[in-house]
Amino acid sequence: MTQIGQPRGTKLMKRAHMQQPSDSIMAVLSVDLLIQILDRVTDSCDRKSCRLVCRGFLRAEALQRRALRVFRREALPRLLRRYATCLERLDLSTCPALDDYALSASLAAGTGRWQLRSVNLSRASGVGWRGLAALVAACPLLEAVDLSHCVGLGDRDAAALAAAAGLRELRLDKCLSLTDVGLAKVAVGCPGLKKLGIKWCLEISDIGIDLLAKKCQDLMELDISYLKISNKSIQSISSLVKLEVLSMVGCSYIDDEGLEFLNNGTNSLRVIDVSRCDNVTSSGLTSVIEWHKRLQKLNVGDCFPELSPLFLSKLNGLKDSLTVLKLDGFQLCSSSLKIIGMNCKNLAKIGLSKCKSVTDEGISELVAGCVDLMTIDLTCCHLLTDKALMAIGEHCKKLSCLRLESCNLITEKGLDRIGTCCSNLEEIDLTDCSICNTAMQYLSRCSKLMVLKLGLCDKISDEGLVHIASNCKLLRELDLYRCIQITDDGLAAIATGCKKLQKLNLCYCTQITDKGMKHVSCLEGLSDLELRGLCHVTSVGISEIAKGCRGLSELDLKRCNLVDDAGLFALAQYTGNLRQINISYCPVSGMGLCMLLVNLECLQDVKVVHINQVTVREFENALRGSLGRLKKLKLLIGLKHLLAPWLIQMLQVRGCRIRWVDKPCYEPFLAY
Amino acid sequence: MDFKLRRPPEASSKSSSSMMNRISNNLKPDLPFVPFDSTNLSYGARQELSISEFSPPVVTQPHGLYAPDKETKAKNQVEPSSEVNSPGMSWDPRLMLSNLSFLEQKIHQVQDIVRTIISQEGQFFDRANELAAQQQLVTADLTYIIIQLISTAGTLLPNIKNALLSTTPVVQPNNALAISANEPTNSNQKQQNILPMEVAKSSEYDELIKDLNGCGSEGDELIKCLNNSGTEVSESIPMEDHDIKDYDDGVDGENLPPGSYEVLQLEKEEILAPHTHFCLICGKGFKRDANLRMHMRGHGDEYKTPAALAKPSKEASSEPAIIRRYSCPFVGCKRNKEHKKFQPLKTILCVKNHYKRSHCDKSYTCSRCKTKKFSVIADLKTHEKHCGRDKWICSCGTTFSRKDKLFGHVALFQGHAPAIPMDDTKVSGTSDQAQASEATNAMVGNMGYSFTGNASDDALSLNIKGIEDGQGYFSPMNFDACNFGGLDEFPRSVFEVSESPFSFLSTGSCSFIQRNGEN
Repeated sequence: MTQIGQPRGTKLMKRAHMQQPSDSIMAVLSVDLLIQILDRVTDSCDRKSCRLVCRGFLRAEALQRRALRVFRREALPRLLRRYATCLERLDLSTCPALDDYALSASLAAGTGRWQLRSVNLSRASGVGWRGLAALVAACPLLEAVDLSHCVGLGDRDAAALAAAAGLRELRLDKCLSLTDVGLAKVAVGCPGLKKLGIKWCLEISDIGIDLLAKKCQDLMELDISYLKISNKSIQSISSLVKLEVLSMVGCSYIDDEGLEFLNNGTNSLRVIDVSRCDNVTSSGLTSVIEWHKRLQKLNVGDCFPELSPLFLSKLNGLKDSLTVLKLDGFQLCSSSLKIIGMNCKNLAKIGLSKCKSVTDEGISELVAGCVDLMTIDLTCCHLLTDKALMAIGEHCKKLSCLRLESCNLITEKGLDRIGTCCSNLEEIDLTDCSICNTAMQYLSRCSKLMVLKLGLCDKISDEGLVHIASNCKLLRELDLYRCIQITDDGLAAIATGCKKLQKLNLCYCTQITDKGMKHVSCLEGLSDLELRGLCHVTSVGISEIAKGCRGLSELDLKRCNLVDDAGLFALAQYTGNLRQINISYCPVSGMGLCMLLVNLECLQDVKVVHINQVTVREFENALRGSLGRLKKLKLLIGLKHLLAPWLIQMLQVRGCRIRWVDKPCYEPFLAY
Repeated sequence: MDFKLRRPPEASSKSSSSMMNRISNNLKPDLPFVPFDSTNLSYGARQELSISEFSPPVVTQPHGLYAPDKETKAKNQVEPSSEVNSPGMSWDPRLMLSNLSFLEQKIHQVQDIVRTIISQEGQFFDRANELAAQQQLVTADLTYIIIQLISTAGTLLPNIKNALLSTTPVVQPNNALAISANEPTNSNQKQQNILPMEVAKSSEYDELIKDLNGCGSEGDELIKCLNNSGTEVSESIPMEDHDIKDYDDGVDGENLPPGSYEVLQLEKEEILAPHTHFCLICGKGFKRDANLRMHMRGHGDEYKTPAALAKPSKEASSEPAIIRRYSCPFVGCKRNKEHKKFQPLKTILCVKNHYKRSHCDKSYTCSRCKTKKFSVIADLKTHEKHCGRDKWICSCGTTFSRKDKLFGHVALFQGHAPAIPMDDTKVSGTSDQAQASEATNAMVGNMGYSFTGNASDDALSLNIKGIEDGQGYFSPMNFDACNFGGLDEFPRSVFEVSESPFSFLSTGSCSFIQRNGEN
């Protein structure tokens, strides 16, 4: 998916057209050849450049493009007109202010020509049954629809969607108003469903699940997490002979008896997730793994405290197939881990998060068996020391992800081994580990590192960052939360070394000043920046960021006490892609807020708590200006009664969820 | 009396069966009739309802039909005499005495009311309401008295049985006859059910006792044997014909080979005639011969003799039972004997219900929803009980009172889905569709109607499969259309309907039916 649709780009393109003489070399090349060229261009920025070269390329690109993600509501009709014929996958989850009218009007552009198979409307809270009906009517080939987190969606909307008889995949996660009736509509209307997610649809009961199982016999993936359903549902589900993936996280009404039902049907299951099912015990799981011999992924986290020896020995039956095993929150002694290591040779991923009794010995036994491990999650395994890391480094040469949050006892020695042996390491989480700069030096040997989390590592200083910046050129995500020794110089090193950085967290690195911001602004790919509590950063620094990081989509400025309206003006002017912002506790005025909310057309999530210089009237104006775009809003509870009721109602009707915060340090608003 | 004309005959047998239940309940200390309790519980309420709802039949002949007190007293006196027969083991004579004296008081009350009515004669025209109220009062009181009498008498049953077993199996027929001859008409019939001393042979009576003791949990059995011991025993109807199921005309569990039974076909007029027994003297019509016989007593002493009151066809019972089945007079109907796949109807009652449901206009409209129509009043009653309570609607228009029933229905039929009520505001564009769906409704309605016009019960096979909802919701209107013939979404159990406070006193419609069949 590539990002397009910035007005600025269009202007550039027009200019390019005018400059292009008609007899240029580009005009000679046929569309086929241009498409061939475009096929070889994979990077989104490069593709954008191509698009802007000439009309020929633009046309070729329109014919070649299959997937589109829209960031601007205004661009939607034009984009859809351009790509109507060939587009197969459309992502509207990031499109602000999308409502029924906008959706149906845009789709009308390509009536009869749509080849769309997949549409993502996740969090498109403004879309209702009319829009969905238009979508279904316009796109006869529709196969996959994602409506997750459209909290307002209910039965009527599901009924509109059910008219798409060819639907294969559907996500309805957290459609809170959806009941059995809506589910029945979908089940009857879309009998060919293969994948269905109804996680968090709390109104759905056994009756609905039963009907679903009867009507949609082809289901291969089903997510029923957090539903209040009983064993009866599992009995119904067991009749689905093709079911491969079953997620039932947090179904606390289901117990071993329910799991027994799964053993009645075919043993088609490949993936089962029963984490947080409080009433499931070892014996129920044992019966499941005994029957489903081809299980590949098993997640049993946080179910019950201890695994029975029988369960562990039965894992042997899965030794060829099982690749992912999550055992979060279990009491695991070293002998248990040894059995797992012996029985699950093909394990690629193991989750031992919060298994507090895990020791070095246990890890050594485990990794001695599972040499193919790529992901190891040891979050909060407090007893682990460098010995465990040594063992991991020795055996797991393919390691790509290692999570060691809160493993306080590990030191640079262990990481030395990891850095030497695991050259494929892409992600490491060292949050709250008391490691020093030397460890950074060792880690920097992993040149493929993409994600590095160093939150709360207060011994890390600029020196460590220089090591990282010198070698980890591919770094995408860096978390320096409360690394209080970090200064502007460290950021300078990062900005020059890690050009691909997309996410940067500098919260409470209080030594950072505007100079540091200037360095950060060199990171053009930055999309996610957290600057919480940077008390030396002023609007000047923020303006630099705004000018430099045009692609910024999430920004957190909470408690940046020196950032005022000037910073917001700059943001309003330059960061057109900003989707989420937090300016709580900033000394901004109503003017700044208005500018920000009215001008930023992608803004969907705004947190404005305790901005005390803003009057109620200014709040109203700002919110009115962004009406229809906002999906999430965090406000002080005091405003609930001060803001015009119609405004609040309007916001909610347009799909905005308002979180009212009741924080103690509250000062009365200045009113006219 | 109007309601009486329309009353489906089966209603009365329901009432009588629940009456039995009441009795059995009274017998409970001795006999395990627990399963009847549920019916019994609801009896009282229904009784009240019917009293308030219908003008009692007492109106026209308060003196002729209903217990003149003297006679009742006589009965009261006679009844204890049956105690002589029993060794009196498990029942309490003191209790019975107190019961009887209570009844006596009650009868005195009724007497007073009737006297008032007599004294008010001539003023009726200005006080019609008052009179009606008094009549209702009389009806209610008499009903109560009868019930009490029966239950009191019922306590004797096991004792009599003991007596029979220990001493002589034959009950004194003369004694019994004397009782019945002196008894008020309706209670007499009742009496026949419980203490079938009147005309029943001792062997039958024995069977009754046996069944009462033996079957215990099986309600049908009880009703069956009680019926047998009643007036219809002699009429050679096979026992199973009294099964509760028979009242649904669609039931065809048996597969009798053609020719193994006698086929009777009643004429349309006979089926629809409200009365089949007419008094030769005054011309008054009755549904049941027994009622006619009781009525005849008022025309002279010659009709009061035991012989005149006894069932005329008593001897017929000795003949071997012939299996009888019935044919619908409507040519082309599957229930008509000319039909290729003729499926006979089991009883006269089935014929009546079938004919009314399939070949008659639906003249009874539900007063609540004003849309659903029925040709059998019992169906209407059943519907009215649930009307307005069904909130679960299928796209085909069928309504359900429970969600799981709806989902069961949806699971069963291809293409059906739960309907979503149109509580939202409509957008432009959908109104057209709504109209279209209305048109479909109308069409469907017509179709359904034509089915009801000529098709028979197997219209079930033409079910609503084809009907799909454009908008996900049909008005309940087409429910009727979809639900023709044998497709019963609601039970047609007529057992819960009692239209007259006295209806339970009659012994079922079969005697009348039989007669008709023989004609």
